Order: sequence, then C-alpha cells, then structure tokens
Amino acid sequence: MKNSTLLLLISLVASSCGRFGNTDEKTDSQERIVCISKQYAEIIYALGAQKEVVAVDLSSTYPPEIKALPTIGYHRALSTETILAMKPSLILHDNNIGPEHVVTQLKELQIPMKTFGNYTPTIAGTDSLIREMGHYFGKEKQADSLCVKLHKEAQEAFAHSKHYTQTPKVLIIHFGRASNIYLVMTKNSTAAKLIEWAGGEMAVDAEKGMKQLSPEVVAAANPDIILLTDFGYDRLNDGKEIDKLPGISSTKAYKNNQIYRIEEHDLVYTGPRTGENVLRIQELIHPDETH
Amino acid sequence: MKPINNRITGLALLALLLCTALLSAKLGAVPISLQEIKNAFMHLINGNEIIELNERIFLQIRLPRVLMGIFVGAALAVGGVLTQALFRNPIVEPGLIGTSSGAAFGAALYFVLGATFGSNWGEWTLPIAACIGGTVATVMVLFLAQSKNDHRRGVASLLLSGIAINALFLSGVGFLSYIARDPQARSITFWNLGTLSGSYWEALYIVLSVTSICIWFSLRLAKQLNALMLGEQEAQLLGINIPQLKLMVLCLNVIMVAVSTAFVGVIGFVGLIVPHFLRMIQGADNRFLLWGGALLGAWVLTASDLLARLLLAPAELPIGIVTSLIGVPVFIILLKRTNYLF
Repeated sequence: MKNSTLLLLISLVASSCGRFGNTDEKTDSQERIVCISKQYAEIIYALGAQKEVVAVDLSSTYPPEIKALPTIGYHRALSTETILAMKPSLILHDNNIGPEHVVTQLKELQIPMKTFGNYTPTIAGTDSLIREMGHYFGKEKQADSLCVKLHKEAQEAFAHSKHYTQTPKVLIIHFGRASNIYLVMTKNSTAAKLIEWAGGEMAVDAEKGMKQLSPEVVAAANPDIILLTDFGYDRLNDGKEIDKLPGISSTKAYKNNQIYRIEEHDLVYTGPRTGENVLRIQELIHPDETH
Repeated sequence: MKPINNRITGLALLALLLCTALLSAKLGAVPISLQEIKNAFMHLINGNEIIELNERIFLQIRLPRVLMGIFVGAALAVGGVLTQALFRNPIVEPGLIGTSSGAAFGAALYFVLGATFGSNWGEWTLPIAACIGGTVATVMVLFLAQSKNDHRRGVASLLLSGIAINALFLSGVGFLSYIARDPQARSITFWNLGTLSGSYWEALYIVLSVTSICIWFSLRLAKQLNALMLGEQEAQLLGINIPQLKLMVLCLNVIMVAVSTAFVGVIGFVGLIVPHFLRMIQGADNRFLLWGGALLGAWVLTASDLLARLLLAPAELPIGIVTSLIGVPVFIILLKRTNYLF
C-alpha cells in the first residue's frame, strides 16, 4: 500500500515536471486566479475569461492550450507554498481539494477562495453553473450562447437514444498511473450519466464513483463495450495490451473488439461540451444505429 | 580516530543547525528576504497587524515548519540513541521495534473512526491515539521477542518480531485507508510518507514541550545507560535498577516518537543514522550521544526538509522520501565499515 502510494506520487510528480516548468507570463493582470477545478477551468476558457488565470491544477487538461499554464500539482496533494508562489489574488476550487491542512493554511493566510454553486451533474445544472460563472466574469453573452449549444446538442442526443433498440453494457476503465491497478467507473459517477444519456448502461455498480474492483466482478459483468481513458489507452500500447489486465479477455467487448479510447476530461464532469460528448459516445456504443 | 572534544563538536553542530534553520526559513517556493523576516518579528513584537503576505507566510507557515523539523529531528534521534543503548545493538531504531508503525496505526484509527469513539481531548487527541498505538505495538514486539528458554532477549528475535508487528500494523493502516472516506484517506496517505508541511503553532507547542521534557529526562539516564553497556548483570552490580531503567527508557522513547509521528507522519532512518554517525566520530559515551544526537538529528531533518522543498520547486516532495534517499546509502556505508565498536 505504501509502495504503491509512493510510486503514484513519484510518477505524478515526474509526469508533471514539464508543466511545473512552464513560465508564468502574466505580470500586469489585475486579478491573479489559481483555478483548482477541471470543470471550472474548461468553462472559463469557453467563456473566454482565461486572461486572469495564472495557474491550474494538474487534472485541468481541456482545452489543450491550458497545458501552457504553470500548474500547482495534483488537486488532492496540494502544497501551500506552491500555490502562494503563483501570487494568487483568488483561488477557485470545487471543494475537491486536499490535504486538509493546506486548505486550513490558505484560509489562515486570508487568501480569497471561491466556490461556485454546487449543481447536479445534469444538463440543467450545467446550464446554471455556466450562467453563474458567466455572470461572475461579466461574460453573460458567451454564457448564453454556450448554454444554447449545450441544450441543442443534448436534445439531439436524447432524441437518438429514444430510437435505440438495444442498451449496451459499458465498462469504463480508468487505468491508473500506479502500476497494474485499474479503477472502474460505477453507476454513481458523472460518467454514468453521460452513458445513460447516450443510451447505454454502466456494467458495474458501487457506492463510490470510482472503484478498484475485483477482476472477477469485471469478468462477471461481461460488458459489451469497454471505454478506456486516454492515459491508460496510450500506455497499453493503443489499447492492444488490454488483455493483460485480468478479467478483460473473457468479456464480449474484448471478443468483438469493441474497446475504445476516450478522453478522461470528456467523461468525469459536465460542461459546455457535454452534449457534444454524449453524441460522440453514441457513435462508439451504438455503431450500427448512429445516424 | 581520536575523538574530538565533545564541546567543540557540539558547538559546531549548533552553528550548523542555526545556519541551516535560517536558510530553511528563507528558501522555498516563495522566497522570503531577511528584511521581511525582520519586519515580521518587529510587527509581532509591536503587536501590529501584519499586512504583507510574505511576512504572514513566514510567521504562519515557514517558521512553525522549521521549528517542527528541529524538534521532531531531535526527538527521533534521541529515540534512536535510547533504543540502541537499551538493546546494546547499533541497528535498532524506533521504526524497527514497532513504535512508529504502531503510532501510525493509532493515528489512522483516529482519522477514520475518531468521530465514532466520541472521545475528544482537543489538540491532544491525535498524539494520545498515536501514543496508545505505539505502546501497544512496542509491547507486542518485546513480548514476542522474549524467549521461553532463557531470559536473554536475542536481538535476532527482537528484529524478527519487529518485522512481523510492523507488517501487521502497516497493513492495518492500509486497511483503514481502504475503508476510509475520501478526505480521511487523503490525510492517511499524506501522513504515511511523512511531511512537515502541515505544521502549525498548536502542534508545535505540543511537540516542543513533550520533546524537551523527554530529552531532559533522557539526559539524566545517560550514566545508567553507560553502565548498562557493560552488560545487565554488571550494571546490576553497580546498583542500577534494571527493570526500572528499561521501563523508563521505553516510555520516553514511545512518547517522543509517537507524539512526533502523530503530527508529521512516519519519517525513517533519522533515528538509525544519527546515533551511528556520532558514535563513529565521538565514541559510545551516552552522556554526549544524547544531546549531540538531538542537535545532529535536528540538523538532518531541517536539511532534509529544505531539500524536499527545493529539489522540485515549486512542487514539494514528502520528507520521508528524502530521509530514506539520504539514509539508505549512509547506512550501507556504515554497515560496511566495522572500524568502530559499540
């Protein structure tokens, strides 16, 4: 347990070295925002309000140009001084940050921190979040057009789903950075919502959103389709070595060659592109019925 | 090698420690200038409200962290000197006889089930939980190591029992972090690798007072520990109450190590390397080893923390990784050199 944590941390730090080295090119902007939420970060960029953002957390990877910003590390293993080195005038976070003592220290130093409303991962909830953030950054117009697009694409996807004759069982594997452990997303995750909207169902259920499951449960769930998040897919030699993961080679998905790559940031939170992402998932999980 | 005068070594260590501590207060992801340090103290003395961010960073984050490193380092090293003297063996340290892993388990238990127990002694709850865990584990190791045939405690059986009990308690910590809810699991992970980054004044006061009192008591035991080096029977003939001495040493060791572990997590190798190194250059006189070890231990941990902060700046490494990286090669070199005696 200790070793795997160590490995995880070292590989996280190593894999992120590149982004720690990014230089901070903003000097004269008035607000200096450190954004520790991948969902907020994507919305800020979509709104065109990124001018004031000086650093983001490691998991904020969309849009691609966000990777040019300096990073303050993994959102659950933050360090106070790393954040302060960015001279933030505001920290945006979605309450999914840690460890606890860092949050306490930031509060004691009276660094302004803000969390937007806690909305459900639904189309309506996403709409509210985009509008709230649009209002905050003074970009109501952009927020409005993002929401219109979101609703249009979501309605299109819902309409498709009504016509599907089958509900494939989908297994989403988040093949981690620690060696040979894989996490499976469950019915309790945001990804499950997206799959449901796309006319599929999750192959496994559990209390937590993401879980390290016994390979036997995975084999017994026998999914029709496996979606593998980007990091794992690339690491498993474009998914070709997925049969090395225990429990996979006996599944229908493996036998029918229905294993696909999907970007992690398209699955784990809702945002302006959610409708678009659901449409893309439909192409993957309903290959015969997509229009 | 002719031992250098103990006083001179002590002064050199103290000077080294002060320089490193000052450097450690200045350097980090956020560099702090001497002027800012001075201003921060001036504001503090005059009771003014501090507006400058860097001054607040210094007073609320950096300073407690540097001081925490000094006292925890001293506690771990003195713990090492005490256990090595007690077992008359140079490769024993608090981590090997179960104290640290027991303390880790106690603290993890508090993180996960603390609310269920309903007992609350404020800031002291965590160190007390760690002390209980550390005591239970140490007693288990000593009990298992006791041979039925003769009453001598074989060092081999002590170390082997230590391995077994360590494994037991560390898997206990692993189990707890598996069943833990999210924020608790994060605390356990962090704290398993050791870090000084969570230091705050209240925690420092606890570690400072406990460590100072325990080191003071330890210094009073130095002569008896020297006598013990001759062997238990010989020490007894010199009029030393062996069971009482053993109990005292074990209690001091468990309290110091467990309280430190409670706040900064498991930090290895300091308790092993520091006494070793000092014994090599100055000989095995516990009267010197105890306070010299405190100084050297404080320096080793302060320097390691500085490295942990600078190596990947602005990111930070857990300090346990740094002490192991430094400690393991030093330990291997020490093992290979046999030109000193215990």
